[in-house]
Amino acid sequence: MQFASHIKISALGALILALLLAASARAEEIVVIVNPASPPLSKDQIADIYLARINTWTPIDQAVGSLIYTEFYKRATGRDAAQVKAIWSKILFTGRGVPPKQLLGSDAVKKAVAANPRAVGYIEKSAVDDSVKVVPLG
Amino acid sequence: MTFSGFGTLGVVQSNYTQADFIATVSQPRGVGYSRSWSGTLDSDLGGQANIMLSDELTGVVQVLSRDTADGNFKPTVEWASLKYDFTPDFAVRVGRILLPTYEHADIRNVGYSLPWVRVPVEITYASTATHSDGVDVMYRIRTGAVTQNMQLQFGTTELDLPGLDFTLNRAHIALFSDTLQYGNASLHLLYQQTDPAQNPPGRLRMLGMGFAYEPGPWFVSADSNRTQNGYFGDLVAWYVSAGMRLGHFSPYAFYSAMHQQSIGTSALTKLGNQHTVAAGVRWDFVRNFDLKLQAEQVTIESLDDPASFGNLQPGARAGDKDHVVSLTLDFLF
Repeated sequence: MQFASHIKISALGALILALLLAASARAEEIVVIVNPASPPLSKDQIADIYLARINTWTPIDQAVGSLIYTEFYKRATGRDAAQVKAIWSKILFTGRGVPPKQLLGSDAVKKAVAANPRAVGYIEKSAVDDSVKVVPLG
Repeated sequence: MTFSGFGTLGVVQSNYTQADFIATVSQPRGVGYSRSWSGTLDSDLGGQANIMLSDELTGVVQVLSRDTADGNFKPTVEWASLKYDFTPDFAVRVGRILLPTYEHADIRNVGYSLPWVRVPVEITYASTATHSDGVDVMYRIRTGAVTQNMQLQFGTTELDLPGLDFTLNRAHIALFSDTLQYGNASLHLLYQQTDPAQNPPGRLRMLGMGFAYEPGPWFVSADSNRTQNGYFGDLVAWYVSAGMRLGHFSPYAFYSAMHQQSIGTSALTKLGNQHTVAAGVRWDFVRNFDLKLQAEQVTIESLDDPASFGNLQPGARAGDKDHVVSLTLDFLF
């Protein structure tokens, strides 16, 4: 019995470790991108843009609720999807603006950022190429 | 053109029999004396159309249905304005525009965007107008890491003043608000001047100051205002609130109070006086929906129209405590 439970605990430990590694690996792969002609952004500015505190930039979202969306907001703003939704619904229903446009997939985001000097997006690091400039996310 | 909307389904329960607890000061009936529970106090439904005529010119129309002074859910136009962005930091709006009289004033009906079941009633007591018809100018300045959002608004509105047998129509409102944002901290300053067509009560001047700090895992906020009027005297209302995020649950608590500070020509000495202690929890159980459960104890401090109550009965006494439980489902679409 003791042996069996020991195996169970080890298996559980391995699973947790694997999940943690997977989570950190996934987290490392997200980068923020701007147009090559744009000035660089600080992490605080990125949070301000995606939490509707400044509107001189045009933020672009990935699909709401997707893994990359959830992970990006957690890392860039410290907020979960429901909190972000509450903030943007406030902007929307007070007539001050509309939530960021959602594009499906990193290639679509990259194209939009490459075409607009005011656009900001987030994509997987592996999708980066010369058409956009990477901004470190903390 | 895009369509979106919000709504709340809510029930409120009270066992106090000597007055009705109400959710907004203009509601004629609540829970307590009239009935022990009700589904109409917090329930509402709103729909909004955003029209993009060009990059600079946009329009908003919002229609809201909720239990108001008429005691029915007849839809009203809350918002109908055109906005022109001269620059990303400078815009002018014309039409029917919501009033940002206190923190969350312009989203008071969007339950999903509020941390509580409803905005503490005390802070809303002296300004029941929700919108004005006119013009506003929005201007944003950045100084280092501080962003200031300034808003100057002029218009006319219908105004229901609480505790009186008359209604004031087409009052003129002038408002200046400045929200200073520094990272997760914000400071909200307000001056609002309301000139009703009738005297009394005559001009009401309101000064407001609010603060919020929301780093993400937890949040605190406080708001206050002082209303000066020759007829009613000076009224002060304030609250402090705090909450935290525990996964999909956000427990919170607040303390809210309002007191008359000086006497006007009406000779009222304790208009609106009461205080509230509340605790609740928000549960974000699925995307675009939340459930909130809130319990509060409201202490009536005077029988001169305590802010949360209507239909006061002869048995009501200063010092009475009403225990109210509210359950709401908020949604966005």
